[in-house]
Amino acid sequence: MNLQVRPMEPKSKNRPPVVERPLASKDASESARPARPARIEIKDFDAWYGDFQAIHGLSLDVPRHQVTAFIGPSGCGKSTLLKWLNRMNDVVAGAHAQGHLVLKGDVGEDDVDLLARSTDVVALRRRIGIVFQKPNPFPKSIYQNVAFGPRLHMNISRRETDELVEWALKKAALWDEVKDRLHKSALGLSGGQQQRLCIARAIATGPNILLMDEPCSALDPASTARVEDLIFELRQQYSIVIVTHSMQQASRVSDQTAFFFQGRLIESGPTEQIFTRPREQQTEDYVSGKFG
Amino acid sequence: MTMPAALQRDDANDQAAKAGRRKLISRWFYLLCIAIAMLSVLVLAVLLISISVQGGSRLSVDLLTNAHSELHPEQAGMWPAIVGTLFVCGVCALVALPLGVGTAVFLEEFKPRRPELRVLRRWIPLGQRRWDGVCTGLYKAMRGLHGFVQLNISNLAGVPSIVYGLLGLSVFVYMFNVFGQITVNESAGLELAGVRHYYQVLTLQRGEVVLIPQQDLQQATITVTEPVEAMLPSGERVTLSLWKPGTEKPTEPELRRRTVREGATGGRYSQKDWYYFRLPLGRSFLAAGLTLALVILPVVIIASQEALRGVPPSMREASLGLGATTWQTTRNVCLPAALPGILTGSILSMGRAIGEAAPILVVLGAAIAKNSGPQHLMDDAVTMPVLIYNWAGRQQQVYQELAAAAIIVLLVILLLVNSLAIYLRQRLRQT
Repeated sequence: MNLQVRPMEPKSKNRPPVVERPLASKDASESARPARPARIEIKDFDAWYGDFQAIHGLSLDVPRHQVTAFIGPSGCGKSTLLKWLNRMNDVVAGAHAQGHLVLKGDVGEDDVDLLARSTDVVALRRRIGIVFQKPNPFPKSIYQNVAFGPRLHMNISRRETDELVEWALKKAALWDEVKDRLHKSALGLSGGQQQRLCIARAIATGPNILLMDEPCSALDPASTARVEDLIFELRQQYSIVIVTHSMQQASRVSDQTAFFFQGRLIESGPTEQIFTRPREQQTEDYVSGKFG
Repeated sequence: MTMPAALQRDDANDQAAKAGRRKLISRWFYLLCIAIAMLSVLVLAVLLISISVQGGSRLSVDLLTNAHSELHPEQAGMWPAIVGTLFVCGVCALVALPLGVGTAVFLEEFKPRRPELRVLRRWIPLGQRRWDGVCTGLYKAMRGLHGFVQLNISNLAGVPSIVYGLLGLSVFVYMFNVFGQITVNESAGLELAGVRHYYQVLTLQRGEVVLIPQQDLQQATITVTEPVEAMLPSGERVTLSLWKPGTEKPTEPELRRRTVREGATGGRYSQKDWYYFRLPLGRSFLAAGLTLALVILPVVIIASQEALRGVPPSMREASLGLGATTWQTTRNVCLPAALPGILTGSILSMGRAIGEAAPILVVLGAAIAKNSGPQHLMDDAVTMPVLIYNWAGRQQQVYQELAAAAIIVLLVILLLVNSLAIYLRQRLRQT
């Protein structure tokens, strides 16, 4: 296994092609470290769409300040679980779930039961941002896109908004590309830029968890690489859950990997272990490309 | 594996012949489509030409600025009808657009969800399963209501407008007579605002009319028993003298002119401010506007719904994912994105309202004698389609021509309204 120190600075533009990058390119000490304390606890979780059970008795911890990847073939329930994590399934007719799904608070914060009907979904989604598969900026200016979330939640002055927008765009490594056209339509950006704008938009509300539903599946390799770099850096401050179909991507960006199959969790653990020494035969078949 | 029999056949000639036939049919069908399309254009052209030939000579400034005239039809115009249409359709737009867009938002954005009964749960000790049953039942009921509203709106869009006219007649004009029966030219019902019962009207012996300022506003009629101060229509103040029936009439002409029979009764004359309002609405432009609003409401709702459905779901997800409430999502994302469609649908339905005659005929009647626009909220109005209906039904050639000219004016206005819709749609699409 070729272990090497992953540079934390943004890479230069002529980086190597995506597929040639080494698997699990992480700090040796880091990959050896056990999973950090859980940010989200999932125990015996079942979810349905109408009569169809999409997830069967799933138990998993999403650790803090790490990237957790959900992998598995289509229809295995990984996106369903992701959408339950910030209750996006509330608007889906017939979607319901049961089990233990708890957002662990920081010191001094209460835990939040993610399934309780009494949970304030609006406040919850502010703490758990989500980035979708297809870049979906609003047909407004770049500035308005980023300021959209904060303006929903608080009364902020013009100057505070300016500062926040700049901060979020810098965080999403987009500032240098758009600072001269902040008030132009966001639809004029390229696909990769739009996706980074969506990440900036999600960050701007001040979440501590970011959910990403196949964030790179609609992007070209170069844009994918930039978004992956971004994800890698963002885990310093955010707990990130990423659903992906690309095994290379999971191995590149994630610390923990969970493999789903037909609505069940087959195996979860440190990414390196899942990809090099999986315990289950199904996992090995999937990560080595025998099915899926 | 062998090829299926159909692919093994050796009949190149047959296939070539078939291909030739297919292409020929395709070409003929293309020509047929063009012919049909041209036919509708042709019908419109014939209509426009015949109308222009008939009414072109009557198009003048007089037509736009004058009122209808029975005695001098060559000077008759449609100014009161233009103003009246403006008022009626203004009321219609003010009522139908907010209601229609609101209903569409309710139907599209506020889909029913499983209800939360937390408060009740604390007080009523039912088991968890029971509560789940209750919640599910309520949810199904709300879904049913949603479906019921949707079904009714689709049906209402197909109801003939004259039926709406009858509905408007009983609901707005008479209000089921709960506020008392109203008769023509008499204030009645529940008068709420803007009325000053200034005078009692008294007809003198020689047919002249005097007005007697009234102190008691509730008094309906006045009986003259003693000489009284009155006002001529010119504003001149006079003292009326009394004449007892049976005695000799005054001989002096001036005195005789201001004599009124003892015991004569007068009727109430009310001066109305522009905001005069009473229930029921009577044959007022307000009632007509409300009736038209009912006519176009289903159209506005359906157009707005289509526009809202056209907003990509990813936009809603993005907004909800940032923690927006349903209303914030609707207000900041869905409505702006759907605005071009909503505007187009609304303006086109306003075009329909402008041209609608049947419900107006039922609610306001076919009278066109009015020589101005509505003077107060309860005033009646003439609209362009009613004026055209009236003129076109007359025998004289001049009225036929006037009707044709009025149709041209109406068509021009409708075309302007429709082009406004197209312009707005293009404009909003670009930004």
